[in-house]
Amino acid sequence: MNVRAKFEMRIDTRAIELCVRCGTCRSVCPAFEVLGWESRNTRGRIMVVKALREGLEPDSDVLDSLNTCTTCGICAAKCPAGANPPMIVQEARRGLVSQGIMTEAQAGFREKVNESGNTFGEREDRLGWLSDPNREGLKEKAEYVYFVGCLDSYRYPEVAKKTFDILRRFGATILPDEVCCGSPLIRTGSDAGKFVDKNLDQIKRIGAKTVITGCAGCYSTLKKDYPPEFEVVSVPEFLAEHLSELDLPRLEMTVTYHDPCHLGRGGGIFDPPRKIIKAICDLEEMKANRENARCCGGGGGVRAGYPDLSLEIARRRLLDVPPGVDAIVSCCPLCIRNLRDAGSDVEVIDLVDLVERAIKSV
Amino acid sequence: MDLIDKLREIVGERVSAAPSERLCYSSDASMVKGTPDYVVRPISTEEVSKLVALAADLGVAVTARGAGTGLAGGAVPLRGGIVLDMSGMNRILEMDLANLQVIVEPGVIQARLNDGLKPHGFFFPPDPGSSNFCTIGGLIANNGSGMRCVKYGTTRNYVLDLEVVLADGKVVRTGSRMLKSSAGYDLTRLFIGSEGTLGIITKAGLRVVPLPKARRLVIASFDDAEAAGRAVAKTFASGIVPSACEILDRTNVQVLRRCDPKLVLPEGDVILFEVDGTESSTKELAQEIVSVCSPIAAQVVSASGEKEMEEIWEARRLVGAAVSRLDPTKSRIYVGEDVGVPIKEIPALIREIGEISERFDLPAMKYGHIGDGNLHVALFIDVLNEEEWAKLAEAADAIHRAAIRLGGTVSSEHGIGAARAEYMKIQWGEGTLSVMRAIKRALDPKGILNPGKLGLDDESPPPGGEG
Repeated sequence: MNVRAKFEMRIDTRAIELCVRCGTCRSVCPAFEVLGWESRNTRGRIMVVKALREGLEPDSDVLDSLNTCTTCGICAAKCPAGANPPMIVQEARRGLVSQGIMTEAQAGFREKVNESGNTFGEREDRLGWLSDPNREGLKEKAEYVYFVGCLDSYRYPEVAKKTFDILRRFGATILPDEVCCGSPLIRTGSDAGKFVDKNLDQIKRIGAKTVITGCAGCYSTLKKDYPPEFEVVSVPEFLAEHLSELDLPRLEMTVTYHDPCHLGRGGGIFDPPRKIIKAICDLEEMKANRENARCCGGGGGVRAGYPDLSLEIARRRLLDVPPGVDAIVSCCPLCIRNLRDAGSDVEVIDLVDLVERAIKSV
Repeated sequence: MDLIDKLREIVGERVSAAPSERLCYSSDASMVKGTPDYVVRPISTEEVSKLVALAADLGVAVTARGAGTGLAGGAVPLRGGIVLDMSGMNRILEMDLANLQVIVEPGVIQARLNDGLKPHGFFFPPDPGSSNFCTIGGLIANNGSGMRCVKYGTTRNYVLDLEVVLADGKVVRTGSRMLKSSAGYDLTRLFIGSEGTLGIITKAGLRVVPLPKARRLVIASFDDAEAAGRAVAKTFASGIVPSACEILDRTNVQVLRRCDPKLVLPEGDVILFEVDGTESSTKELAQEIVSVCSPIAAQVVSASGEKEMEEIWEARRLVGAAVSRLDPTKSRIYVGEDVGVPIKEIPALIREIGEISERFDLPAMKYGHIGDGNLHVALFIDVLNEEEWAKLAEAADAIHRAAIRLGGTVSSEHGIGAARAEYMKIQWGEGTLSVMRAIKRALDPKGILNPGKLGLDDESPPPGGEG
């Protein structure tokens, strides 16, 4: 097994050597907080990657070390030396998977996504949420494309519908044959080239200059893993930019906002969702917010690979919810799903749900 | 029955012998390496007691570890055996504020303790740069301190009582809830700074003090570090004891400004003087510091408020690792980083370090607690360059010897561990070291507790400086 050679091709030694093992990341890694073993925190994972390059056997403990990272990036935000651990972890996963070394969960997940084109292995029509008349009226050329994503397509079709109802007022269309953006594959070390190509081809045919998405995972992937041939805008950014045109009335409620890792820390999008929320109702921040927001536990393949860990991270995130709020608002269906599944007492809703409630209240 | 099965009988699944896990416990933040055979994560005194008794029976080494943030290899198991990861024993057991103390388990993170104390108007003063992630157990085992010890003293001044598992598994208490006691040997202090070589700390009673009502920060910059040293001496001589008195040399200042351009730090070698007390007393003291420093300093400014002050302190806490941001090909390697000298020798030490840096052609940043003579030297190298590693070891050795020659210490607050073990004899002499060895033999006759540390072994400790 020639692990070392392949690793050296893709992971820059200097990127690893930036880590001086000071331990800053140890106090913020959400997976470590639950699991408690050094190999399950950022510093440990970097040591493991370094050792893999030097010949450590990639056994199941090694895979669990690397795969329990949610890629939330709080370690990178806090690292005084400027290391980028999620990138290292993701590259290490990729290096191993490229040699066929992965967990059963990873392999199963990959197969499912590859066969079905979505993260759930669904065989149903991806556009099932769209009523027939609307489907026929889809524009073939448009400035804006709404990229729906697997979760809203299959699990939260109402959110997809509400989002598209708003976005089509601004001339947006959707891809006729959208497939998974590739995020679940890329985060867990697999290749997503065919999905990237298929989506990209359709975006080009439509002639869209801007792709709008309501999923933080899709946002991050479209922005960082697709060729830079179009602009990527998150739904909260788009709505915030067009806030005056939406003419939203106020609702008598107080909500809190959960920053999705890939939108907040990953994309620097902190203010737009808050601007919209504050236009509609009162906002009370979670205990840890913005750059310091804690992960929901869903990302990086952890929800699929380690469901117990994933939900425990979500339960701990729920402890940050301020008392007395009417809802937890977020801008990522994966975060919303994980926080709901973790048993939130408070309703967890998409920002678009809140916007639609305001629109309908008139 | 294999040892791992016996360990499982005590702690269930909280034991691992997986190669990757052993690897992750094979170092701390220093360059010292040593791989454990087993990692165990106990959650009670009873478990620790059983584990140590088992290890004693079998003659297996036991090394306690907190958050593994140590800079001298104190928690690195040089002779293999069992690493006890104590960070899971992390409960604040009691806030006995009427008696001015708290009872905690050793895995409590320093900053979490202070988060808990703040609403009650108290704090635990020892505040190392790693406050946000180091454990109380590690602080006690190394007699850690930090920026405010110039006024408040080190961890040693705050430990009233310890529960300790001895080398045969017996559990003893070393103190009480009394704030003072005159009854026999001070066993509490014996265990403080013992780096896990005499027993495993499983509980601690800590004295806490009221939070000051106000803090103020005066920032003075100087043309050279020696002038900065003179200003510090003059400040103390005028009767002011600052609550922190930190030096940042010009390279540090550049690094910090690069990391955060908004930071209010003037160019040059900078001293941060913090005073605490009431609104009026801090105002008066800050003014006095300004007038004492002005004739020597290039510039003297005051931080404008709590937020600005906290930003500067936060940046200061993390400066050690931040150097890579100035040059990504350079990494900070923690060697020779914790020397201390009597405060009047600080200018001499700064001069010597400058010469050493030049002689070995290695850039050296100097920062630290100039108010108590503790100077942190940050040496940084290209870790992919073998020659620089060799020069680094020689430079660190020269720094340690310079500190001893000036009547100082090779470690002021990070500990000896394995990285500095060879200097114990030079610093203390054979007579003093033999007393320490006698204490070690009396409490740990089989030598199972953290062997190879503190220069206590009769044979020379294994080297720990290789990359």
